[in-house]
Amino acid sequence: MSDTFRNRLMLAVALVLAAIYLFPLYWMYITALKTGSAMFATPPKFWPSEPQWSIYAHVWESRNMGRYLWNSLVIAFGSVALIAVLGVGCAYVLARYRNVWVDIGLFLILMLQVLPASLMVTPIFVGFSQVGLLDTPRLAVILAIAAKSMPFFVVLVRATFMSVPMELEEAALVDGNSRIGAFFNIVLPLARNGILVSAILIFMQAFGEFVYSKSMIQAVELQPASVGLNTFMGPNTNEWNNIMAYATIYVTPILAAFILLQRRIVSGLTSGALK
Amino acid sequence: MKRILSSITDGRGFDVGLVSLPLAFLFVLSGLPLVYNVVMSFQEVDMFSLGSFSRPFVGFKNYIDLFGQPETWPILLNTAIFVTASIAGQFLIGFGLALFFWVSFPGASWLRGLFLVSWVMPGLVVGAIWNWILSGDFGVLNFLLRETGVISGNIFWRSDPSYSLWAVIIANIWLGTSFNMILLSVGLSGIPKDLYEAAELDGANAFQRFWTITLPMMRSTIGAIVALGLIFTLQQFDLFAAITSGGPNNTSNVTQYWAWDLSFRQYDFAKGATISVIMIVFVMFASVVYVRSTRHEVRG
Repeated sequence: MSDTFRNRLMLAVALVLAAIYLFPLYWMYITALKTGSAMFATPPKFWPSEPQWSIYAHVWESRNMGRYLWNSLVIAFGSVALIAVLGVGCAYVLARYRNVWVDIGLFLILMLQVLPASLMVTPIFVGFSQVGLLDTPRLAVILAIAAKSMPFFVVLVRATFMSVPMELEEAALVDGNSRIGAFFNIVLPLARNGILVSAILIFMQAFGEFVYSKSMIQAVELQPASVGLNTFMGPNTNEWNNIMAYATIYVTPILAAFILLQRRIVSGLTSGALK
Repeated sequence: MKRILSSITDGRGFDVGLVSLPLAFLFVLSGLPLVYNVVMSFQEVDMFSLGSFSRPFVGFKNYIDLFGQPETWPILLNTAIFVTASIAGQFLIGFGLALFFWVSFPGASWLRGLFLVSWVMPGLVVGAIWNWILSGDFGVLNFLLRETGVISGNIFWRSDPSYSLWAVIIANIWLGTSFNMILLSVGLSGIPKDLYEAAELDGANAFQRFWTITLPMMRSTIGAIVALGLIFTLQQFDLFAAITSGGPNNTSNVTQYWAWDLSFRQYDFAKGATISVIMIVFVMFASVVYVRSTRHEVRG
């Protein structure tokens, strides 16, 4: 068996595996384009005969998706900004030193990373309502997401800082830079890519966040798209083509960003989580 | 004053400042709620006392009441089934895929990365798609199973009490497989190739090589991944909200959904806090296992 043949065979099998695995995604895109009757046809059609392209505009209008997505963006950008401002410095210090205190700090951060949001939401909700934070529910959700996701961000960014050689920073200090100067002019630019990838991962998570938003945001006009999708899916719904169109609009930008940045995201993720 | 200022711009104070602010933030928004959770689990909390800090303490009453409820043990059992089946499915399929993509061929790493889309999608969207795939009369999964002869009649995944939990498990396995696969691939690429060459010279077949080299070399990776899987499956909430809402009649309910349901549907915040405390203790235990198995990495 020649090498090229083997490679082609492997590639073919890999494509089949990927197609099986990604079938749910395909089914979402196809269902969105089906008419109401084609959707419930038996046997189901695996290719839409008369694609309904107008469904996207219809769902966008009728479900007020612009408002939902805007709220998702506000929450995601707010959380990422807060996490980045607080987390980068923390990760830098934890990467720069090796002592008992750093070990304790890392241990605490790893422990905080694992707390399930649906279990933490009860005390956070009661506490926030007592200090009046629920009057600004989107800010409350941003704070809760930041507390939940910052440990993960710190672990990822710390791995990036570990790969920046310390000699460069020391050289800058010898040349008369202050610590602040060396941090902003030397270390931060060198770690920029890793920070960016981690921030994108956090952004994707915050963009789809559900538990905190569902529990803390009562006003419909402030709810993000995940809560909007949940409201759309009533217990006995049969508008599956509309729901899938909603899901398509919601998820396609994330998928596009992921496929563009795939290589970097995967390597950033693996460096932080295991090695 | 001047010395403090210069220390902040150019000395130890710089590091202390950078690290203390985020830690203070985490303490206020994660540490305090954690403590508050424990406090609430010993209090009587209702809609009227929600806004005040001085609530009557009731000792272990919430815990005793909780375990006196008829649905508690079935829900704990569901959680155990959900966690075990999800981790087993994600790990086995993920390991199989990782072994397949370990054989290098052009496009392997790009295709492998593509699997991770299941992981970056919002949980609610994954839940919505599977809700539709698993639907009883018109679901495509029932159609495929019927055509291949696995089942003769439709399975009502979401409303049949004996299948509802499995509906969520199937969706969760799909969601988590890719993450398992990527992390296992990292572990596999860390095994030195010459070990295999040596074993091949000694006449070990593929099966023996897997048992005597791959598995032992992957031991710490596998430990970390199973612990991570435990942590992630116990965090899974969105799929329950999107597929079954814990129903019918709690047959697909698990503790992490139940805790939220008690607090925000039945407004029984004390019970919600109580079940949260029990589960958080359990998750903490899992995370100690995880931290221990990655300790060498953490310490650099």
